[in-house]
Amino acid sequence: MGKKTTDQAGLDRRGFLTGVAVAGGAGLSAPAQAQSNPMLMAQAQPAPAPAARPKAPLPTAAQTAAENEHPPHMEALTTEKTGSDFMVDVCKTLNIDFMASCPGSTFRALQESFINYGQNKKPEWLTCLHEEVSVGMAHGYAKVAGKPMAAILHGTVGTQHAAMGIYNAYCDRVPMILFTASAGPVEDRRPGVEWMHSVQDGAATVRDFVKWDDYPWSLQSFAESTVRGYALACAEPPGPILITADGKLQEAELSKKEEAILKIPKLTRGTQTVGDPAALKEAAKMLVAAENPVIIVDRYARSQEGVDNLVRLAELLQAPVVDKQSRMNFPSQHYLYQNARGGALVGQADCILSLEPVDLFGQLNRVRDQIERTWRRTSKPTAKVISLSTHDLLMKANYQDFQRYSAADLAITADAQATLPYLIEAVEREIGDRKSMFTARGQKMRDAFKAFAARAHADGALGWDSSPISGARMFAELWNQVKNEDWAFMSPNNYAGNWQHRLWPIEKHYQYIGSSGGSGVGYEPVAALGAALAHREIGGRLPIAIVGDGNFNMAPSVMWTAAHHKIPFLMIIQNNRAYHQEVMHIQRMANRHNRGIESGVIGTEITNPNIDYAGLAKSYGATGIGPISDPKELGEAIRKGVAAVKAGNPVLIDVIMQPRG
Amino acid sequence: MKIFTITLLAGLSLCANPALAQQAGAPAGNIENGKKHYTTDGCYQCHGTVGNGAALTGPKLANTELPFEAFLMQLRQPSNDMAPYEAKIISDATVADIYAWLQSLPKSPDPKSLPLLTGMGVK
Repeated sequence: MGKKTTDQAGLDRRGFLTGVAVAGGAGLSAPAQAQSNPMLMAQAQPAPAPAARPKAPLPTAAQTAAENEHPPHMEALTTEKTGSDFMVDVCKTLNIDFMASCPGSTFRALQESFINYGQNKKPEWLTCLHEEVSVGMAHGYAKVAGKPMAAILHGTVGTQHAAMGIYNAYCDRVPMILFTASAGPVEDRRPGVEWMHSVQDGAATVRDFVKWDDYPWSLQSFAESTVRGYALACAEPPGPILITADGKLQEAELSKKEEAILKIPKLTRGTQTVGDPAALKEAAKMLVAAENPVIIVDRYARSQEGVDNLVRLAELLQAPVVDKQSRMNFPSQHYLYQNARGGALVGQADCILSLEPVDLFGQLNRVRDQIERTWRRTSKPTAKVISLSTHDLLMKANYQDFQRYSAADLAITADAQATLPYLIEAVEREIGDRKSMFTARGQKMRDAFKAFAARAHADGALGWDSSPISGARMFAELWNQVKNEDWAFMSPNNYAGNWQHRLWPIEKHYQYIGSSGGSGVGYEPVAALGAALAHREIGGRLPIAIVGDGNFNMAPSVMWTAAHHKIPFLMIIQNNRAYHQEVMHIQRMANRHNRGIESGVIGTEITNPNIDYAGLAKSYGATGIGPISDPKELGEAIRKGVAAVKAGNPVLIDVIMQPRG
Repeated sequence: MKIFTITLLAGLSLCANPALAQQAGAPAGNIENGKKHYTTDGCYQCHGTVGNGAALTGPKLANTELPFEAFLMQLRQPSNDMAPYEAKIISDATVADIYAWLQSLPKSPDPKSLPLLTGMGVK
């Protein structure tokens, strides 16, 4: 597509202006220079009266119009198809349901193609008010839907906004298909903003925490890279990938001839890595021979099949399961779910099977947070440790999410969920006809489990009527209102006391999706928005998120996106009016320095004024309830909230709660 | 293990002057001052606003069964990750006040009297 420049258009604009400049230049130049330089100003002499100027011919109206616009017959100003349409064709082959976006001009052609050429379906364009919301939404969605959605980020500034959310997803090993854009080659850029938002290497900002990226320089390359990226994002261990859609590729005309030779490759998802049979046989021997085996599970199950297989393995061995809860891994009311005495079990174990550990060192050791950072091994030095994990298959140098090195006695590098059926077979072979050999161990686990509920009830009674409201009271009131619904948590709830894992029957994989991965504050509301979208698509579920007030303040606009796109969910703000984790950190430092122990709240409390979260939700078009500080009023507030969610609304209930559970 | 019990005499003195509380072997403490310092000195941050405790951060303190000396020792030389409270920043007398307030708190209700709690997780 050629462009005709003004000069090439044959118009004598330059000549006209030059004539004016030459004629007037002598009279204007000296004072202009003098004004910009005081030294010259002081020396300036009064100028003689200018000579009569030669009269410059004024342009005609036709000439003026021709100067400013290209004659229609000389330049095509519209076209039927551009590269961005083909990019949409590529995305449609991947069956992507949603594209989250905060608007950005660097992808203007692509956005227009998605909503008009692509008819805003598969993917449907979602409006977010911050790029961190876009990527966080994709994070939560993938954990429920079991497949990635896409997000597109404005060149440079949008990617920078999105960076923390991408890091969370990377650390959490969650697939996302991300696009960013750049304004294209230098000679095509308009001065100013297009340069600010252009970049030689669009992924550099986030390369340390995406699984793969590319900046394709042709449409054929865009097709291949996007399909390749999708497959890579989903391969275990999964992660975000980023494709930069060049501005010129997006906006350049796509002729039928050019289009005819483009090919969109078929998506082929690779099979997952499975542990080798010899290693599994060895692991089975170690587990069956152990007197006190323990299974520690973390970022393991990605579907109900993974949960069911872990139940089979644990029951075969009658081995307790200690769940680090990065995913829903094991039914919380199964008698082998022994989190309540996890520390003691790990300390007594003679064989530990660790499935997809995020931090193997942390599972086996403890580091004190005092001036002297001493650490000690909490498991027996003689305990045999088996790791079954993809941990080592995705590791980069700079960001330290890989945690401290810890050597297992048997390290099986493989996808644990895909491998577990084979490990079960190996264990069954090893046990043979001795299935009753673990009966006594199982009975001990049943007895211990019976005591957990009594202990939880005793703990829950503490501060039952307190205001701020206790975590136990809030969860009990919540249970009372949702027990007959198909509920699902979209938040980790650790700071609210983790009562869902102590007393609620979490049985289905989708009922709990774990935490942020990277502990980047702001994950809870944005991931909840995406997870709620996935639940809406499946239908019939009541999505619930317990979100800290500090976390919510990172992305309150999720309420608008939810209202705008009709994504219902129940969000309870655990309002302790502080970044409370930081309150405790500053307190620790004040104590350590023996000074100012009453000042730790400076810079960490969110008070004076208190924030009206219910009012904020209402202003975004959602339902807002609260603040609720009297525990006796909480049940009714939740009842109203649940009714509003079932009517299709996003709901926020502001609950003034204890700082920690 | 409960080592100290509140004597009848102490109980009577509590009835006579609720602002003062004393467990056997513990120095007399000013309950109101203890309540104030429990909040301003940051105890609530890990142990809840009414000494109710929290699973992640700190155990229950209301009606603690720790004798005062052990309670004081835990503040001065914590046995775990707890931030230390040395005498420079909180005096023995103030600790005694906090201890007295914690002892004065009402006992937790019997969970069996809370069907909403015991019904949690039960359909």
